[in-house]
Amino acid sequence: MSSDAFEQQMAMLRAEYRHDLPATLLGVENLWRSLATGSVPPARLMELQRQLHSIAGSAKTFGLAQLTESARAAEDFLEPYCAAGALPGVTEQAHLERLLHALKRAAP
Amino acid sequence: MNAGPTDRILVDEQDVYVLTRSADRELRGSDTALSALELEFLVLIDGHASVAEIARRNKTLVLSAVIDVFRSLIARNLIELSRKDAAEGMEIGDFLSSPSFYVPPAGAEREAGDEAAAGVSSLQQTGYYVRIARRTGSDRKLVEGQRLCVIVIEDEPHLAKLLRQYLTLEGFDARVASNREEIVAEFRRPPPPDLVLLDVMLPDADGFDVLYKMRTHPRLKSVPTIMLTSKATREAVLKGLAGGADGYITKPFEIDVLVKAVRAVLGLPEHR
Repeated sequence: MSSDAFEQQMAMLRAEYRHDLPATLLGVENLWRSLATGSVPPARLMELQRQLHSIAGSAKTFGLAQLTESARAAEDFLEPYCAAGALPGVTEQAHLERLLHALKRAAP
Repeated sequence: MNAGPTDRILVDEQDVYVLTRSADRELRGSDTALSALELEFLVLIDGHASVAEIARRNKTLVLSAVIDVFRSLIARNLIELSRKDAAEGMEIGDFLSSPSFYVPPAGAEREAGDEAAAGVSSLQQTGYYVRIARRTGSDRKLVEGQRLCVIVIEDEPHLAKLLRQYLTLEGFDARVASNREEIVAEFRRPPPPDLVLLDVMLPDADGFDVLYKMRTHPRLKSVPTIMLTSKATREAVLKGLAGGADGYITKPFEIDVLVKAVRAVLGLPEHR
Protein backbone atom coordinates (compact mmCIF):
# COMPACT_ATOMS: atom_id res chain seq x y z
CA MET A 1 0.00 0.00 0.00
CA SER A 2 1.33 3.46 -0.76
CA SER A 3 1.97 5.51 2.33
CA ASP A 4 0.51 8.52 0.51
CA ALA A 5 -2.81 6.75 0.06
CA PHE A 6 -2.83 5.78 3.72
CA GLU A 7 -1.83 9.25 4.94
CA GLN A 8 -4.58 10.78 2.84
CA GLN A 9 -7.19 8.42 4.27
CA MET A 10 -5.89 8.85 7.79
CA ALA A 11 -6.08 12.66 7.49
CA MET A 12 -9.71 12.39 6.40
CA LEU A 13 -10.55 10.01 9.23
CA ARG A 14 -8.85 12.29 11.78
CA ALA A 15 -10.86 15.22 10.46
CA GLU A 16 -14.09 13.22 10.68
CA TYR A 17 -13.30 12.16 14.22
CA ARG A 18 -12.65 15.77 15.26
CA HIS A 19 -15.78 16.93 13.46
CA ASP A 20 -17.96 14.45 15.35
CA LEU A 21 -16.26 14.98 18.70
CA PRO A 22 -18.37 17.92 20.01
CA ALA A 23 -21.55 15.85 19.56
CA THR A 24 -19.91 12.88 21.29
CA LEU A 25 -18.83 15.00 24.25
CA LEU A 26 -22.23 16.67 24.42
CA GLY A 27 -23.77 13.20 24.61
CA VAL A 28 -21.53 12.39 27.59
CA GLU A 29 -22.37 15.66 29.29
CA ASN A 30 -26.12 15.28 28.76
CA LEU A 31 -26.17 11.72 29.99
CA TRP A 32 -24.28 12.66 33.14
CA ARG A 33 -26.63 15.61 33.76
CA SER A 34 -29.63 13.30 33.39
CA LEU A 35 -28.09 10.79 35.78
CA ALA A 36 -27.17 13.44 38.33
CA THR A 37 -30.66 14.97 38.31
CA GLY A 38 -32.33 11.56 38.49
CA SER A 39 -34.16 11.91 35.20
CA VAL A 40 -32.72 8.60 34.03
CA PRO A 41 -32.19 5.47 36.18
CA PRO A 42 -28.75 4.89 37.78
CA ALA A 43 -28.42 1.72 35.68
CA ARG A 44 -27.52 3.99 32.79
CA LEU A 45 -24.26 4.84 34.52
CA MET A 46 -22.90 1.83 32.61
CA GLU A 47 -23.82 3.56 29.39
CA LEU A 48 -21.88 6.64 30.48
CA GLN A 49 -18.89 4.46 31.29
CA ARG A 50 -19.18 2.79 27.89
CA GLN A 51 -19.21 6.16 26.12
CA LEU A 52 -16.08 7.19 28.02
CA HIS A 53 -14.51 3.81 27.24
CA SER A 54 -15.21 4.35 23.58
CA ILE A 55 -13.47 7.76 23.59
CA ALA A 56 -10.55 6.38 25.62
CA GLY A 57 -10.09 3.52 23.18
CA SER A 58 -10.16 5.64 20.04
CA ALA A 59 -8.98 9.25 20.55
CA LYS A 60 -5.24 8.50 20.62
CA THR A 61 -5.50 6.52 17.38
CA PHE A 62 -6.81 9.71 15.78
CA GLY A 63 -4.03 11.86 17.26
CA LEU A 64 -5.72 12.98 20.48
CA ALA A 65 -3.64 11.34 23.20
CA GLN A 66 -4.67 13.73 25.98
CA LEU A 67 -8.33 13.05 25.27
CA THR A 68 -7.70 9.32 25.68
CA GLU A 69 -6.01 9.98 29.04
CA SER A 70 -8.85 12.17 30.30
CA ALA A 71 -11.55 9.76 29.16
CA ARG A 72 -9.67 6.85 30.73
CA ALA A 73 -9.46 8.71 34.07
CA ALA A 74 -13.23 9.29 34.09
CA GLU A 75 -13.94 5.73 32.94
CA ASP A 76 -11.75 4.25 35.70
CA PHE A 77 -13.34 6.53 38.28
CA LEU A 78 -16.79 5.17 37.40
CA GLU A 79 -15.72 1.53 37.60
CA PRO A 80 -16.63 0.84 41.27
CA TYR A 81 -19.94 2.70 40.94
CA CYS A 82 -20.92 0.72 37.86
CA ALA A 83 -19.99 -2.50 39.66
CA ALA A 84 -22.16 -1.46 42.62
CA GLY A 85 -24.96 -0.19 40.37
CA ALA A 86 -25.15 3.10 42.28
CA LEU A 87 -24.40 6.72 41.53
CA PRO A 88 -21.39 8.34 43.19
CA GLY A 89 -22.06 10.36 46.35
CA VAL A 90 -22.15 14.16 46.35
CA THR A 91 -18.40 14.63 46.96
CA GLU A 92 -17.52 12.03 44.35
CA GLN A 93 -19.93 13.61 41.88
CA ALA A 94 -17.98 16.85 42.17
CA HIS A 95 -14.80 14.92 41.40
CA LEU A 96 -16.44 13.28 38.38
CA GLU A 97 -17.55 16.69 37.13
CA ARG A 98 -13.95 17.89 37.33
CA LEU A 99 -12.89 14.85 35.31
CA LEU A 100 -15.59 15.55 32.70
CA HIS A 101 -14.53 19.18 32.58
CA ALA A 102 -10.94 18.06 31.95
CA LEU A 103 -12.27 15.81 29.19
CA LYS A 104 -13.88 18.79 27.45
CA ARG A 105 -10.71 20.81 27.81
CA ALA A 106 -8.65 18.03 26.25
CA ALA A 107 -10.71 18.19 23.06
CA PRO A 108 -9.25 20.35 20.25
CA MET B 1 1.17 -32.43 4.57
CA ASN B 2 2.65 -28.99 4.28
CA ALA B 3 1.89 -26.56 7.11
CA GLY B 4 0.38 -23.34 5.85
CA PRO B 5 -2.89 -22.29 4.34
CA THR B 6 -4.55 -25.72 4.56
CA ASP B 7 -4.33 -25.54 8.36
CA ARG B 8 -6.94 -22.84 8.22
CA ILE B 9 -9.44 -24.78 6.13
CA LEU B 10 -12.33 -25.56 8.43
CA VAL B 11 -13.36 -29.21 8.40
CA ASP B 12 -15.97 -30.48 10.79
CA GLU B 13 -16.49 -34.15 11.67
CA GLN B 14 -20.09 -34.01 10.53
CA ASP B 15 -19.30 -32.52 7.11
CA VAL B 16 -20.19 -34.48 3.99
CA TYR B 17 -18.18 -33.72 0.87
CA VAL B 18 -18.67 -34.49 -2.80
CA LEU B 19 -16.13 -35.04 -5.53
CA THR B 20 -15.30 -32.27 -7.97
CA ARG B 21 -14.84 -32.90 -11.69
CA SER B 22 -11.07 -32.94 -11.13
CA ALA B 23 -11.48 -35.80 -8.66
CA ASP B 24 -13.73 -37.65 -11.10
CA ARG B 25 -11.02 -37.38 -13.73
CA GLU B 26 -8.41 -38.61 -11.24
CA LEU B 27 -10.52 -41.63 -10.31
CA ARG B 28 -11.26 -42.54 -13.91
CA GLY B 29 -7.83 -41.82 -15.34
CA SER B 30 -5.08 -44.38 -15.48
CA ASP B 31 -2.22 -42.02 -14.63
CA THR B 32 -3.32 -40.47 -11.34
CA ALA B 33 -0.71 -38.90 -9.11
CA LEU B 34 -2.86 -39.38 -6.01
CA SER B 35 -1.76 -41.74 -3.26
CA ALA B 36 -3.61 -44.96 -2.49
CA LEU B 37 -4.91 -43.39 0.70
CA GLU B 38 -6.25 -40.35 -1.13
CA LEU B 39 -7.93 -42.57 -3.73
CA GLU B 40 -9.50 -44.62 -0.96
CA PHE B 41 -10.82 -41.42 0.64
CA LEU B 42 -12.24 -40.20 -2.66
CA VAL B 43 -14.13 -43.47 -3.11
CA LEU B 44 -15.58 -43.23 0.39
CA ILE B 45 -16.45 -39.55 -0.09
CA ASP B 46 -18.20 -40.48 -3.31
CA GLY B 47 -20.33 -42.85 -1.24
CA HIS B 48 -21.54 -39.85 0.82
CA ALA B 49 -19.64 -40.81 3.96
CA SER B 50 -19.07 -37.98 6.44
CA VAL B 51 -15.63 -37.10 7.76
CA ALA B 52 -16.44 -38.90 11.02
CA GLU B 53 -17.58 -42.05 9.20
CA ILE B 54 -14.41 -42.16 7.14
CA ALA B 55 -12.34 -41.67 10.28
CA ARG B 56 -14.18 -44.58 11.93
CA ARG B 57 -13.56 -46.86 8.95
CA ASN B 58 -9.91 -45.99 8.75
CA LYS B 59 -8.01 -48.01 11.31
CA THR B 60 -4.61 -46.40 10.87
CA LEU B 61 -5.17 -42.63 11.05
CA VAL B 62 -6.34 -40.58 14.01
CA LEU B 63 -9.13 -38.07 13.36
CA SER B 64 -6.76 -35.09 13.08
CA ALA B 65 -4.76 -36.91 10.39
CA VAL B 66 -7.98 -37.76 8.53
CA ILE B 67 -8.96 -34.08 8.68
CA ASP B 68 -5.52 -33.16 7.30
CA VAL B 69 -6.16 -35.42 4.31
CA PHE B 70 -9.53 -33.71 3.80
CA ARG B 71 -7.88 -30.29 3.96
CA SER B 72 -5.32 -31.36 1.42
CA LEU B 73 -8.04 -32.66 -0.93
CA ILE B 74 -10.04 -29.42 -0.52
CA ALA B 75 -6.95 -27.29 -1.15
CA ARG B 76 -6.36 -29.15 -4.41
CA ASN B 77 -9.98 -28.68 -5.44
CA LEU B 78 -10.67 -32.40 -5.47
CA ILE B 79 -13.59 -32.28 -3.06
CA GLU B 80 -16.11 -29.66 -1.96
CA LEU B 81 -18.71 -29.45 0.75
CA SER B 82 -21.96 -30.98 -0.43
CA ARG B 83 -24.53 -28.34 -1.32
CA LYS B 84 -26.82 -29.42 1.49
CA ASP B 85 -23.98 -29.24 3.99
CA ALA B 86 -22.73 -25.95 2.58
CA ALA B 87 -26.17 -24.40 2.95
CA GLU B 88 -26.42 -25.63 6.54
CA GLY B 89 -22.92 -24.38 7.21
CA MET B 90 -23.79 -20.89 6.14
CA GLU B 91 -26.91 -21.14 8.24
CA ILE B 92 -24.93 -20.25 11.34
CA GLY B 93 -28.15 -19.23 13.07
CA ASP B 94 -28.24 -16.87 16.01
CA PHE B 95 -25.27 -18.55 17.66
CA LEU B 96 -25.01 -15.73 20.17
CA SER B 97 -28.39 -16.55 21.69
CA SER B 98 -27.43 -20.13 22.52
CA PRO B 99 -26.22 -20.82 26.05
CA SER B 100 -22.46 -20.84 26.30
CA PHE B 101 -20.90 -23.99 27.72
CA TYR B 102 -17.35 -23.42 26.63
CA VAL B 103 -14.96 -25.80 28.31
CA PRO B 104 -11.33 -25.02 27.50
CA PRO B 105 -9.34 -28.01 26.20
CA ALA B 106 -7.39 -29.95 28.83
CA GLY B 107 -4.38 -27.96 29.96
CA ALA B 108 -5.56 -24.76 28.27
CA GLU B 109 -6.01 -22.85 31.52
CA ARG B 110 -2.58 -23.83 32.83
CA GLU B 111 -1.03 -22.98 29.47
CA ALA B 112 -2.90 -19.66 29.42
CA GLY B 113 -1.68 -18.90 32.94
CA ASP B 114 1.90 -19.48 31.83
CA GLU B 115 1.42 -17.22 28.81
CA ALA B 116 -0.53 -14.44 30.51
CA ALA B 117 2.51 -12.77 32.09
CA ALA B 118 4.36 -12.75 28.77
CA GLY B 119 1.22 -11.48 27.09
CA VAL B 120 0.82 -8.53 29.47
CA SER B 121 4.48 -7.63 29.11
CA SER B 122 4.26 -7.72 25.31
CA LEU B 123 1.04 -5.67 25.33
CA GLN B 124 2.65 -3.01 27.48
CA GLN B 125 5.79 -2.85 25.35
CA THR B 126 4.50 -3.27 21.80
CA GLY B 127 0.73 -2.88 22.00
CA TYR B 128 0.04 -6.40 20.78
CA TYR B 129 0.53 -10.04 21.67
CA VAL B 130 0.20 -13.05 19.45
CA ARG B 131 0.17 -16.50 20.98
CA ILE B 132 3.25 -18.34 19.84
CA ALA B 133 1.47 -21.70 19.97
CA ARG B 134 -1.22 -20.41 17.62
CA ARG B 135 0.94 -18.66 15.08
CA THR B 136 0.55 -20.19 11.68
CA GLY B 137 4.18 -19.43 10.90
CA SER B 138 5.36 -16.73 8.53
CA ASP B 139 5.48 -18.82 5.41
CA ARG B 140 1.92 -18.46 4.24
CA LYS B 141 1.76 -17.55 0.57
CA LEU B 142 -1.37 -16.16 -0.99
CA VAL B 143 -2.09 -16.92 -4.60
CA GLU B 144 -2.40 -14.01 -7.03
CA GLY B 145 -5.61 -12.12 -6.33
CA GLN B 146 -6.45 -14.07 -3.15
CA ARG B 147 -7.92 -11.86 -0.45
CA LEU B 148 -8.35 -13.11 3.09
CA CYS B 149 -11.56 -12.13 4.83
CA VAL B 150 -11.49 -10.29 8.17
CA ILE B 151 -14.59 -9.57 10.24
CA VAL B 152 -14.07 -6.48 12.39
CA ILE B 153 -16.37 -6.43 15.42
CA GLU B 154 -16.12 -2.87 16.71
CA ASP B 155 -18.86 -0.46 17.74
CA GLU B 156 -16.89 2.82 17.66
CA PRO B 157 -17.80 3.97 14.14
CA HIS B 158 -14.58 5.90 13.42
CA LEU B 159 -12.38 3.01 14.53
CA ALA B 160 -14.51 0.55 12.56
CA LYS B 161 -14.16 2.70 9.44
CA LEU B 162 -10.40 3.07 9.94
CA LEU B 163 -9.99 -0.68 10.34
CA ARG B 164 -12.11 -1.48 7.32
CA GLN B 165 -10.32 1.03 5.09
CA TYR B 166 -6.82 0.16 6.24
CA LEU B 167 -7.34 -3.60 6.03
CA THR B 168 -8.80 -3.15 2.55
CA LEU B 169 -5.75 -1.13 1.50
CA GLU B 170 -3.61 -3.93 2.95
CA GLY B 171 -5.30 -6.42 0.63
CA PHE B 172 -7.90 -7.94 2.95
CA ASP B 173 -11.62 -8.24 2.38
CA ALA B 174 -12.83 -6.46 5.54
CA ARG B 175 -16.40 -6.52 6.86
CA VAL B 176 -17.67 -4.70 9.94
CA ALA B 177 -20.21 -5.59 12.63
CA SER B 178 -21.04 -3.33 15.56
CA ASN B 179 -23.71 -5.20 17.52
CA ARG B 180 -25.18 -8.68 18.08
CA GLU B 181 -27.48 -8.60 15.10
CA GLU B 182 -24.72 -7.50 12.74
CA ILE B 183 -22.28 -10.04 14.20
CA VAL B 184 -24.66 -12.91 13.46
CA ALA B 185 -25.43 -11.49 10.00
CA GLU B 186 -21.73 -11.19 9.10
CA PHE B 187 -20.94 -14.73 10.22
CA ARG B 188 -23.81 -16.04 8.13
CA ARG B 189 -22.64 -14.20 5.03
CA PRO B 190 -20.17 -16.11 2.85
CA PRO B 191 -17.23 -16.34 2.58
CA PRO B 192 -16.41 -17.44 6.12
CA PRO B 193 -13.85 -15.24 7.86
CA ASP B 194 -10.15 -16.06 7.94
CA LEU B 195 -9.78 -13.83 10.99
CA VAL B 196 -11.95 -11.97 13.49
CA LEU B 197 -10.95 -8.75 15.26
CA LEU B 198 -13.14 -8.66 18.33
CA ASP B 199 -13.72 -5.67 20.61
CA VAL B 200 -14.23 -6.71 24.22
CA MET B 201 -16.81 -4.07 25.16
CA LEU B 202 -19.80 -3.94 22.83
CA PRO B 203 -23.14 -2.19 23.38
CA ASP B 204 -25.24 -5.36 23.59
CA ALA B 205 -22.70 -8.15 23.84
CA ASP B 206 -19.59 -9.08 25.76
CA GLY B 207 -16.58 -9.80 23.55
CA PHE B 208 -15.46 -12.70 25.73
CA ASP B 209 -18.92 -14.25 25.46
CA VAL B 210 -18.79 -13.90 21.66
CA LEU B 211 -15.37 -15.62 21.72
CA TYR B 212 -16.64 -18.52 23.87
CA LYS B 213 -19.66 -19.00 21.62
CA MET B 214 -17.45 -19.04 18.56
CA ARG B 215 -15.23 -21.64 20.18
CA THR B 216 -18.20 -23.94 20.82
CA HIS B 217 -19.65 -23.55 17.32
CA PRO B 218 -18.62 -26.26 14.84
CA ARG B 219 -18.18 -23.76 12.00
CA LEU B 220 -16.49 -21.00 13.94
CA LYS B 221 -14.37 -22.79 16.51
CA SER B 222 -11.16 -22.64 14.48
CA VAL B 223 -11.44 -19.08 13.20
CA PRO B 224 -8.40 -17.13 14.47
CA THR B 225 -9.51 -14.31 16.73
CA ILE B 226 -7.67 -11.26 18.03
CA MET B 227 -9.20 -9.42 20.95
CA LEU B 228 -9.18 -5.62 20.93
CA THR B 229 -9.03 -4.50 24.53
CA SER B 230 -8.22 -1.42 26.52
CA LYS B 231 -7.44 -3.49 29.58
CA ALA B 232 -4.01 -5.07 29.48
CA THR B 233 -4.35 -6.67 32.90
CA ARG B 234 -3.26 -10.23 33.61
CA GLU B 235 -6.85 -11.21 34.43
CA ALA B 236 -8.19 -9.89 31.12
CA VAL B 237 -5.42 -11.53 29.11
CA LEU B 238 -5.85 -14.79 31.00
CA LYS B 239 -9.59 -14.74 30.34
CA GLY B 240 -9.04 -14.33 26.62
CA LEU B 241 -6.21 -16.85 26.32
CA ALA B 242 -8.11 -19.51 28.26
CA GLY B 243 -11.10 -18.78 26.05
CA GLY B 244 -9.12 -19.48 22.90
CA ALA B 245 -8.05 -16.00 21.70
CA ASP B 246 -5.13 -16.05 19.28
CA GLY B 247 -3.88 -12.59 20.10
CA TYR B 248 -4.45 -9.29 21.82
CA ILE B 249 -4.22 -5.69 20.73
CA THR B 250 -4.52 -2.87 23.22
CA LYS B 251 -6.70 0.13 22.46
CA PRO B 252 -6.01 2.81 21.47
CA PHE B 253 -3.70 1.21 18.91
CA GLU B 254 -1.28 2.38 16.27
CA ILE B 255 -2.53 1.10 12.93
CA ASP B 256 0.81 -0.46 11.96
CA VAL B 257 0.81 -2.43 15.22
CA LEU B 258 -2.61 -3.79 14.36
CA VAL B 259 -1.52 -4.92 10.92
CA LYS B 260 1.60 -6.59 12.38
CA ALA B 261 -0.60 -8.63 14.72
CA VAL B 262 -3.07 -9.51 11.96
CA ARG B 263 -0.30 -10.69 9.63
CA ALA B 264 1.41 -12.67 12.42
CA VAL B 265 -1.79 -14.52 13.35
CA LEU B 266 -2.52 -15.30 9.71
CA GLY B 267 1.03 -16.51 9.13
CA LEU B 268 1.73 -13.83 6.54
CA PRO B 269 5.11 -12.11 6.22
CA GLU B 270 5.35 -8.85 8.22
CA HIS B 271 5.28 -6.77 5.04
CA ARG B 272 3.33 -7.33 1.83
